[in-house]
Amino acid sequence: MLRIKGKAVSPGIAMGRAQLHDVIREVVLAESIGERAVEREIWRLENAVKKSRAQLKKIHLGLQKIMGKDAAFIIETQVMLLGDSHLLGEIKETIKGKLVKAEWAIHSVEKKYLEIFRAIPDLSFKAKSNDVSDVLNRLISNLKRSAPVRAAATAPPGPVILVADDITPSEAATLMSHKRLLGLVLNKGGETSHTAILARTLGIPAILDTGNATELIASDDTVALDSVRGEVIVQPTPEVAAEIGGKIDKFTLYKERLKELSQLPELTRDGHQFHLLANIELPFESEIVQSYGAKGIGLYRTEYLYLDSKAGISEDEQYLVYKKIAQNIFPHPLVVRTYDLGRDKSESARSPREENPSLGLMAVRRFLRDREPFKTQIKAVMRANASGNIRILFPMVTEVEEVRAIRAIMAEAKKELQRAGAYPKRDVQVGIMLEIPAAVRLIRHLGNDVDFFSVGTNDLIQYLLAVDRNNADVAHLFSPFHPAIVHILKEIRREADRAGKEVAVCGEMAGRRLPALMLLGLGFANFSMNALAIAEIKGVFTRIHYSRLRRIVSRLEFFATRGEIEGFLRTELEKAYPGLLQESQGSA
Amino acid sequence: MIEKKQQIINKLGLHARAAAKLSHLANMFSSDIYLIYDEDKVNAKSLLGILTLAASVGSEITLQATGEDEKEAIEAIGGLFDRKFDEES
Repeated sequence: MLRIKGKAVSPGIAMGRAQLHDVIREVVLAESIGERAVEREIWRLENAVKKSRAQLKKIHLGLQKIMGKDAAFIIETQVMLLGDSHLLGEIKETIKGKLVKAEWAIHSVEKKYLEIFRAIPDLSFKAKSNDVSDVLNRLISNLKRSAPVRAAATAPPGPVILVADDITPSEAATLMSHKRLLGLVLNKGGETSHTAILARTLGIPAILDTGNATELIASDDTVALDSVRGEVIVQPTPEVAAEIGGKIDKFTLYKERLKELSQLPELTRDGHQFHLLANIELPFESEIVQSYGAKGIGLYRTEYLYLDSKAGISEDEQYLVYKKIAQNIFPHPLVVRTYDLGRDKSESARSPREENPSLGLMAVRRFLRDREPFKTQIKAVMRANASGNIRILFPMVTEVEEVRAIRAIMAEAKKELQRAGAYPKRDVQVGIMLEIPAAVRLIRHLGNDVDFFSVGTNDLIQYLLAVDRNNADVAHLFSPFHPAIVHILKEIRREADRAGKEVAVCGEMAGRRLPALMLLGLGFANFSMNALAIAEIKGVFTRIHYSRLRRIVSRLEFFATRGEIEGFLRTELEKAYPGLLQESQGSA
Repeated sequence: MIEKKQQIINKLGLHARAAAKLSHLANMFSSDIYLIYDEDKVNAKSLLGILTLAASVGSEITLQATGEDEKEAIEAIGGLFDRKFDEES
């Protein structure tokens, strides 16, 4: 038995037969042809283009069925490339000039462009090389007379867990819309989020970024996929298999209970009110989060809108996106967080290289220097607020001056919109993220200028403990139970109360049982999390008594170590509510 | 042959959509049209070629056209740059 760690991007538990998917790239040989065969090669190429176009269209339609209109972005670039007469011209020229078969001509054109793309430092352009390869390989496989599309792009024989190095956007789309996949394990997958989004939407458990799963798993191995733990278990022992089997049952049960749970009022057993909202990244998610029990969107991360070339970034386009999401979630609130750019590695090369990006020109800092895109976003959010349920949230604030500068830009934006007659009756409420400790210390002052606060726990922990949780050497130090975290959370609650402002929690802590319970016990009542965690958290919160929880949590401040804090919390809660913390989701 | 310097002012730079618009427009002219950015020179009629420039906002591109309708081509393509590829209000 072997355990492989990876990034769980889509929840669920699955066990089954592994099917290794080697990237079946057609072996292309440099076959030369006589001049008289040129015509024929070009005819073959044109036929392959037609076939490919039809296939992409079919994939697009399939995606549209499951994802709605937003499906387009997954293969849009490929459709455009296929329509690029110059690209086809170049392939034809190669056939004619070098007297080679169409396969080789495509192959050499692909090679040329991949080399060029490889040298580009800007990641948002680099992602396009996947699309180029994907579409050109489709062309090559369509050159065959019977044109069986690449093995991977056909449905796997029976239910299997697919294990691959990486899959292309169109493969992901085709494979997953066939509902015959039990699960998906990839070596890579970090670069584009298409696969992750699709898996999540379709409820297929997926673990990506495993590094070398294809070397450790052989076809027909029994593989269990536990995306609660972010683990792939290869050839589980009978005991582990039984345990996984139990988890699968519980997960099924949990999914059935989802509906039931989402109807429950958001009250603890002793009638204390709490609110659970969803974090989203993509507009279409707003259509599904309510079915997971979300009473609003507590954090809409807009970076994707900015980075994804498809969505563009014009005020009008943004306006339409925000408006649609606000309507989807109405009457519940939508909190739009302005672009938090600058630290992410997916960020474009536009920013000069920084030694230390997480202490650098990011988020609000960046936009206060380059105001136009910022103002555009603010205006779009303001305009979209006709339904009155939109709030705007600014990340990475460290000082009052920043809030004032933001307020000044908002005032300008408002004036401009009013002049154009495009300002709705209601102002958007303004909030800031509490994620840098300095901001926590200033809550009483910041409170004069904002309507609400939102705690970003991941960054707060990172900045308070000086730990990068993505750095394997120090990740173990990243803990929500560090005494300093408990203290700062208490401080936030107290100061926000004093300032008379609402405060929500939208980091990962909110979506995990023990940390979420601690937050509830500390007096936080608004939580925003991955939509898939909502049912679980609701199940836990509705099982406990707030008064009792509060008593337990109030004692945490006397402990000096994270071990003691976590241990005490766990023991006391287990004592009071047996089974409450068991990881298996069904026990919720 | 005529040339014109053009700054990229749309925020996303020459990404896939903008590049598609540009190559589409370029294909409507009979002149040979090139984009020159730093050391690189690509055919403006090729979507993929344009993408390989990876030109982001703020970059300066030289448009170069040679042919019967070179003047119209430069004007039309320059206009597309100035209108930020019709993607921003």
